[in-house]
Amino acid sequence: MKDFHIDREARGAIQLIKLSGSLDMYSFPRLESQLSGMFEQGLIRVVLDCRNLDYIGSAGLGALIGFAKQAREKGGDVKLLNVPERIYKIIELLGFTKVLQVHETEEAALGSFAS
Amino acid sequence: MYVRIEGDSLSDSAKGISVACTTDEVFVRVVGRGTFQNSQPLRRFAMEMIEKGYRRFTVDVGACPNMDSTFLGVLAGIGLRLRQDGKPAAEVSVVSVSPRNLDLLQTLGLDRLFTVQTLETNGTPVSWPAGAAVERLPDSDIESLSKPLDKNETTDLMLDAHNSLVRADERNAPRFSGVTKFLRESVERGRSDKSK
Repeated sequence: MKDFHIDREARGAIQLIKLSGSLDMYSFPRLESQLSGMFEQGLIRVVLDCRNLDYIGSAGLGALIGFAKQAREKGGDVKLLNVPERIYKIIELLGFTKVLQVHETEEAALGSFAS
Repeated sequence: MYVRIEGDSLSDSAKGISVACTTDEVFVRVVGRGTFQNSQPLRRFAMEMIEKGYRRFTVDVGACPNMDSTFLGVLAGIGLRLRQDGKPAAEVSVVSVSPRNLDLLQTLGLDRLFTVQTLETNGTPVSWPAGAAVERLPDSDIESLSKPLDKNETTDLMLDAHNSLVRADERNAPRFSGVTKFLRESVERGRSDKSK
C-alpha cells in the first residue's frame, strides 16, 4: 500500500492540493489538518487533484463534503480533479458527485471558481 | 452459496473473505482490503451464523492491510448484536492485528468491544480449525466483483455500519457526522423515490 502524500501549490487564489496514496481513516487527519489550517487563513478555494490517489474511504468522502459545505458558506468550495475511474465509480454510486464537483482537467477545475 | 476452498491453510493468499465454522465458533480470514465493497457478504454471513446460534467469532486480519469505516462498522455491528443478546461467552476476537489496524481499532474505540490480539501478541498466524470446511464468501474480493454494487443496498449498509460505530463509542459521532448525515439523506431520498 502506497504512503499517503500531500503536495500543495497555489494557483492564484486557488489552492491545488495533489494527493497520492490511500486516503483512509489513518491518513485523513493529515488532510483534515491541512484543510482546517487553510480555512483559518481564509484559503477556501481548493482543488484536490486525485490523479495519484489509489483509494478513498467512505468516512474521508463524508468529511470532504463537510469541508466543501464550510467553504461554500464563505464563498469558496472544495472540488475534485483527475479522479481515477475506479474511485469515480464509487463516489458516483454513493451519490457524492451530487455534492462534490468533479472535473477532468485542471483548467476546468480552476475555471469553475470564476463562474 | 459459498465457494469451498481445498486445503486447510489460513495462509491462502487469494484475496477475499474466507470462513470456517466449528461447532461453537466462527473463523473469518480477510485477505486484502476490508471495505464497504466486501462488507455486505460478511454481514450477511455473520448474521446468518448468529441466527444459527454462534456466539464466538474470530476474525483474522493479518493479511488485511487496511479496513475502512464501513467494514469496521460491520464488525462493530456483529459485536453489538452479540452483546445485545446478552449470552455468556459471546465474543468477537480480532487477531493478527497490524500496528496500523490496531491504531484504527483504538481510534474508533473498538478495542473495547472486541478482544484484540496484535501480530506480536499472537506470536504465530492463526490456523483454520482442524477438519473444518473453509469457504470463500461470494463477491468478497473487491478487485473482482461479479456485479456492480446496488446503490440503495450499499447506502443502507454504510449508514447502518456508521451508526454501529457511533453506538459502539459515542466519540465517533462527530467523526462521522458528515457521512451519516449524507447517507441518511440519501437513504430517505431512495425510499421516497421508491414510494412514488
